[in-house]
Amino acid sequence: MGTAVLHTEKLCKTFSNGGFQQHVIKNLDIEIREKDFTVIMGASGSGKSTLLYALSGMDKPTLGKVFFGKEDISDYSNDRLAIFRRKNCGFVFQSIYLLENMNVFDNVMTGALVAQKNSPELIKKAEDLLIKVGINKETWKKYPNQLSGGECQRVGIVRAVINEPAILFADEPTGSLNSASSRDVLDIFTELHSKGQSIVMVTHDIRTALRGNRVIFLSDGSVVGEHEMPPYGTDDLKKRRDGLQDFLDRMGW
Amino acid sequence: MEKILRLSWANIRKHKLETAALVVLITLCMLLMGSALEGIKGAKSIFPHLMEHTCRYENHIFIPDEYYKEAFADILASDERVSDVAHAEVIYSMSTDYLDDEGKEQALTMCFSTGYSHEILELSEIETTLSDEEIAALEHPIYMPYAARDSMGYKVGDDFDMIFGTRRFSFVIAGFYDAILFDIPGVGLKLIVSDQDYHLLEGIIDKYTVLAYNDGQGKGGDKLLEDALREFDEYSNSNVSDNVMSALYNDLKEGITYDTDVLLKILVGMAVLIIIAVAIMIRFRIAGDIKDQIVNIGVLEAMGYTSKNITLSYVLEYLLITVAGIIIGTAGCFLVSPAFFRTGEIMSGHLSDSRITAKPLIVTAVIIIAFVTVISFLRARAVRKFPPVQAFRKGQGDHRFGREHFPLRKTKSSVHLRLAMKGFVQNFKQNLGLTVCITAASAAIVFCFIIFTFFSGGMSAISKSSGIELSDMKITLINPTDTEWLAEELETLPEVRKATPTSGESLMINMPEKKQVLLPMAFTSFDVTENIFTSEGRYPQHDNEIMLTNMLGKLDGFSTGDSVTLEYNGVKRQYIITGFVTALTNGGINLYITEDGMKRLIPTYAPDTIELYLKDGVDADEFKYTLTDRYGRSIADAGKAADGEGSYEDRIRAEAEKQIAEIIANQGGNHVEYAIQSGDTVIKGSSSGFIIDSVINLGGVIKTQLAGMAKAISALTTVLMLLSALVVMIILFILMESSIRRQRKEFGVMKSMGYTSRELMLQLAFRIMPAAVISVAVGTAFSVIAVKLFASFIGVIETNMAAVFFMDAVLLLFCFLCAYAGARKIKKISVYELMTE
Repeated sequence: MGTAVLHTEKLCKTFSNGGFQQHVIKNLDIEIREKDFTVIMGASGSGKSTLLYALSGMDKPTLGKVFFGKEDISDYSNDRLAIFRRKNCGFVFQSIYLLENMNVFDNVMTGALVAQKNSPELIKKAEDLLIKVGINKETWKKYPNQLSGGECQRVGIVRAVINEPAILFADEPTGSLNSASSRDVLDIFTELHSKGQSIVMVTHDIRTALRGNRVIFLSDGSVVGEHEMPPYGTDDLKKRRDGLQDFLDRMGW
Repeated sequence: MEKILRLSWANIRKHKLETAALVVLITLCMLLMGSALEGIKGAKSIFPHLMEHTCRYENHIFIPDEYYKEAFADILASDERVSDVAHAEVIYSMSTDYLDDEGKEQALTMCFSTGYSHEILELSEIETTLSDEEIAALEHPIYMPYAARDSMGYKVGDDFDMIFGTRRFSFVIAGFYDAILFDIPGVGLKLIVSDQDYHLLEGIIDKYTVLAYNDGQGKGGDKLLEDALREFDEYSNSNVSDNVMSALYNDLKEGITYDTDVLLKILVGMAVLIIIAVAIMIRFRIAGDIKDQIVNIGVLEAMGYTSKNITLSYVLEYLLITVAGIIIGTAGCFLVSPAFFRTGEIMSGHLSDSRITAKPLIVTAVIIIAFVTVISFLRARAVRKFPPVQAFRKGQGDHRFGREHFPLRKTKSSVHLRLAMKGFVQNFKQNLGLTVCITAASAAIVFCFIIFTFFSGGMSAISKSSGIELSDMKITLINPTDTEWLAEELETLPEVRKATPTSGESLMINMPEKKQVLLPMAFTSFDVTENIFTSEGRYPQHDNEIMLTNMLGKLDGFSTGDSVTLEYNGVKRQYIITGFVTALTNGGINLYITEDGMKRLIPTYAPDTIELYLKDGVDADEFKYTLTDRYGRSIADAGKAADGEGSYEDRIRAEAEKQIAEIIANQGGNHVEYAIQSGDTVIKGSSSGFIIDSVINLGGVIKTQLAGMAKAISALTTVLMLLSALVVMIILFILMESSIRRQRKEFGVMKSMGYTSRELMLQLAFRIMPAAVISVAVGTAFSVIAVKLFASFIGVIETNMAAVFFMDAVLLLFCFLCAYAGARKIKKISVYELMTE
């Protein structure tokens, strides 16, 4: 087991809506280990995305603490969280959210230049990553509305990893994609994990969850179960799927 | 209609802050234009109101007593163009010293009349807070025009001390009235005094007879006056026409409302600029809105709404906003219009019809509504280009195949600056509109700033533009033959730096080609002058050369090298224009000519005035007293001395001087000598103590006039600068709100990547800077040209370019800060909005 790169202490998140309070996460203690591909699953409304946003510094907890290493980021101001994110986190969205007024290459560079100074090495890195995810040179000058969903998501992944974040967060990254594109995207995640990238992903899709080596199940804002698996591709796929299915059945999935 | 109204209302509620900002702009426009039109109406009512309630007669001729003949009234009445004639006596002094509220000596032109003379000439009643008993108890009451109360700050009961030569006259202000003649400090004040005080002042101030007449509201005009004066000259066999002053109906009408009219028209111009800015804002708001809501538009169309319905919903949205702004602006007009009416009254010195009427407000409202309707309709028609499916696809126009501007791979310094420039280019059309708005505002601000710095920068700059010598004293002599030797004698005095003989104010020369009367300023050589500066060409050196004022040059189309004909008493001579002079005084009718040039036209000409310059540290008031006592005594002074005690010789001399004063003042004598033998003693003397007719601090009078003008212009330009800055601020605020709303998602994504709110705010603020830089540069260029055009009529307005560039820098900083502050809503964008659950 790797060392904990991220952990929470009694993490709570409550939303107020017209005077009605909704406690989404309740006293959650969770640990994200280095080099793990952690998948967070749960029924709709279980608090998966809320937890993801709290862990990644996109949102502040109502109560409790979030530690990144030894750094408590719970009380950081919004700007300080932004600075924290640029250095430590990469994020991939379900809706992809490429910047529509910029071409592919500039979308990647927008993510890169917030944390690094421009250099020939950085440009080369961006180019190599794009090629690696299957975005060829002719596509670099195209705009998001000229690309398919899968292409957009792959560009989104490059944007998220170009600064070599400590953790890559992904919120239902294949939610908007067809099965072929989904497979391509998941292959990229698997490859990144095999190279040592720590990943935390939220999904409700078992095929996506199979790519992880650790599955955490949430219910009503609390962790109700965990399931460990070997790294993807190192074991029998059917056995892997059955194991995961059993776990999910026990969780009431 | 209801469904359209629902759409409009939903849109208004969605963009509350932007809507509010637009309402503020329209309110400002309605307030400025409506109040200004009301003010113009009020200003135009001043003259008819004056004629109806104040004036008995439309025209007035002031004839010095020594030239007046009883028959003149009959001669005038016999002209078929004239309907009524009357005459009354007044006394007039071009420069009278008085003590201001700080006890300092100031100078003003003053005309005095009795209550009886006043009633002959004018209808207006005295306004006073004193009872009849209180007025009766006053030893020396004085009644002043409203201008003395409104612009000089006097109240009933205040003291008013005047100084003539060595004597002080103290009055108490008993009331105010609406004067038609000598109604504002810039022209002079007509003061009503008791019969007793009038007789006292008669001995020391020049007497005039005022011939007043009606000519069908100015139908007789200048021609009638010229004909009458010619007949007066013929009848009296003297040069009456060169010695009169006149106040004709048409000149009064123009003069009374001119300044106010200009001010109010400037405000209307500002309102027009604002409505243009509003139009640009509406255009790009609608365009942005259509782009943002294109999917919603598709949904509406799919539901059955036609593109016409949707277009009308936008038009109705902006109509509702406009109507809200008009209602608030109209309410504001009721508060602000009285201030404009009052401004007109103070500037003109007269009451106006200060009722607020509906017509100007309705006209303004209709103009604004029509303008907004047309602009919003034309822009909103773009909706018809998007049938439902195309709308769902966000309009295929979103595909871009053009060149990528500011690619990030070429970032050298800050990514934020690069992203800002990218944003600038991507929103080019919007920034073009912004450039137009800020250019207009910058031009207004910089123009006002240049004028403000010139007029508020102390009197030296303005004095240089006066076009006349601003000596410490202007001495007018009774006999021109005394001028040269007195000037030489005065220069020997230890207090005197320089004494320059020149022409007086009594001589006027005609320029028949342009039907223009000119006031000559003649010197032996212009090298001896200290405050007459050429804006073009050179000083006249020969006897066939002259200079004119810039204003006259522009109005009459003269250039350096042109030849003009001057005429005096039937004698005509040609002169060459060698240059032009900056002149803010005398309405631009100054004529600059050498003494030899004068003699060429008037062979008997001799200077009768001395411009006296004192050395530093000399007390001007004290020296004036000494001068007057030595050379400028009057009948009253001599009479008083003759009643005194003293030795036999003193009493003889005093009586002799009394007789001399009488001869000089009333008999037309200009030099008297006496030798009185008493026993073995011969007592001799001459009229040397009576050679000075008046000592005027004309420089003080001019400085008072210019100071008043400078103060008014400084106040006006300050208001206009602030208004323009407010418009820029509102426009930038609307722009920032709109940009943030349109790119909310993008900003959320960038925050998720690690861009801080401050960095994004800076990006947005920098995005407008190229437009701001271009606008300020172009606006400054326009304003410098505008200043040159403005100055070409009056002379040189020194433009301090260092100060202008500093102002440009301040403007750019202001634009940046407004944009930065307007972008603060970015702080409220949460990356949480990107969540899918």
